[in-house]
Amino acid sequence: AAMERFVDFTDRSQGRERLLRATQYTCMLLSYVIERKADKEELVLKLKQLEASMSSGRKMFRLGNTVHALVAARRTTQLPDVVPRVCLTASNLTRALYFVCDTVLWLKSVGLQPDIDAPKWRNWATKCYYFSLLMNLARDWYEVSWRLEHAVQKEKIKENSSWDKRNQELNCLKCDGLHVFFLLLFQILKNHPPLVLDMVKNLLEVWLPFVYRILSSCKKLHYEFLSGDLLDTK
Amino acid sequence: MEPWVRFSAQSQARERLLRAAQYGCALAGAALQRNGASAEVVARVRQLEAHLSLGRKLLRLGGSADALEAAKRAIHLSDAVLRFCLTLSHLNRAMYLACDNVLWAGKAGLAPAVDQEKWSQRSFRYYLFALIVNLSRDAYEIRALMEREAGGQRAKGTEAGRQQQQRRRPEAGLQQLGLRLQLELRLLLRVLRGNPPLLLDVLKNACDLFIPLDKLGLYRSSPAFVGLCGLASSVLSILTILHPWLKLKP
Repeated sequence: AAMERFVDFTDRSQGRERLLRATQYTCMLLSYVIERKADKEELVLKLKQLEASMSSGRKMFRLGNTVHALVAARRTTQLPDVVPRVCLTASNLTRALYFVCDTVLWLKSVGLQPDIDAPKWRNWATKCYYFSLLMNLARDWYEVSWRLEHAVQKEKIKENSSWDKRNQELNCLKCDGLHVFFLLLFQILKNHPPLVLDMVKNLLEVWLPFVYRILSSCKKLHYEFLSGDLLDTK
Repeated sequence: MEPWVRFSAQSQARERLLRAAQYGCALAGAALQRNGASAEVVARVRQLEAHLSLGRKLLRLGGSADALEAAKRAIHLSDAVLRFCLTLSHLNRAMYLACDNVLWAGKAGLAPAVDQEKWSQRSFRYYLFALIVNLSRDAYEIRALMEREAGGQRAKGTEAGRQQQQRRRPEAGLQQLGLRLQLELRLLLRVLRGNPPLLLDVLKNACDLFIPLDKLGLYRSSPAFVGLCGLASSVLSILTILHPWLKLKP
């Protein structure tokens, strides 16, 4: 049964690509954790090689995703609400641009066009990716906020139409603004798991590279401090 | 563009496209070399082919599980010959993919001690055996269909039936044999024309057969021919994905 589930998953769209992506980031994490540890250099090298081959394999697999993103953009222009329509269409269009940059970088890495300015294209790719993430987060924020507003209004109506005086007193106790706010927020998030997952995923994707960079510069400072470089005591 | 999105959403479809590109590069490289193109262009095409091959190996990681599942399903078929052939074919494919994964580990630098040549030969042996079993299954299906067709003709009393009755008279050898072969051939073509999935499967397996035959040294052909066969079988496979009714079942 476990094998069946694995086969089902990898056969579905993008399943295999997600698995490779998870493996790639695991390798990155592992190589960060055991880097600079004594006699682990070979393992770190192997992890880095594995990460590189996963990265190039994924780039190859992603060829043609530009069309996917453009079709998704066309679909999202049909959405009824203005804010999701604008946000998601912008997100999909920038994702299409990201895939174009990705294809160009793949052409260079494969050797078909060696005279491509890789840093410039990588820069553009990162900018497009972040912009599309921010648009996705904006839409998540909009979804949560209008649901929250509805829930708050419903609570207010319930409060106003309650007949029992004692209930009203009790309700006033519950009326503490922040408490009600978090309760309603929790309820909304509980009732909409896809929204929660999307939000968490986007937040992680936005913040993880920053966290990684901060952590590695902290680690570098730590090692430099230990070896005396920072204090210049040599 | 919608058909493209639906098509490439299946990872198998993309893998087939990359395979077509890989063998296309092999064909292009061989053709360019024969026509005296610059060494740099040929080197670039070869490099692209190597990248495509390695990338495909990466994408095939875990394909053994897929093949084993298919073998498990094939055990429950009703027809004994089909059950035997399909199970054996899937098991061989699982072994081929396992060897392929080992090759990938070697090429990607994870296990540098892997003997590339030995494992490559091993994987092609399993692949060849799987193809032979597939072709035997095709032959069995063709035989069954031909017998059914011939039986039907005999019942209708067509010209072929009359000729078969004539055969009962003791006649001289070669002319008789020639006529009989001609009849069999016409019957075969009629059966294949009426069963596009079977025809496609036969062609695909036949084209694929030349690849391991060349790599194992059993039947050396030119790199251009191998590339052409690979490209043809990939295109046929893509056709069966685009039109699922063309896929031979089970």
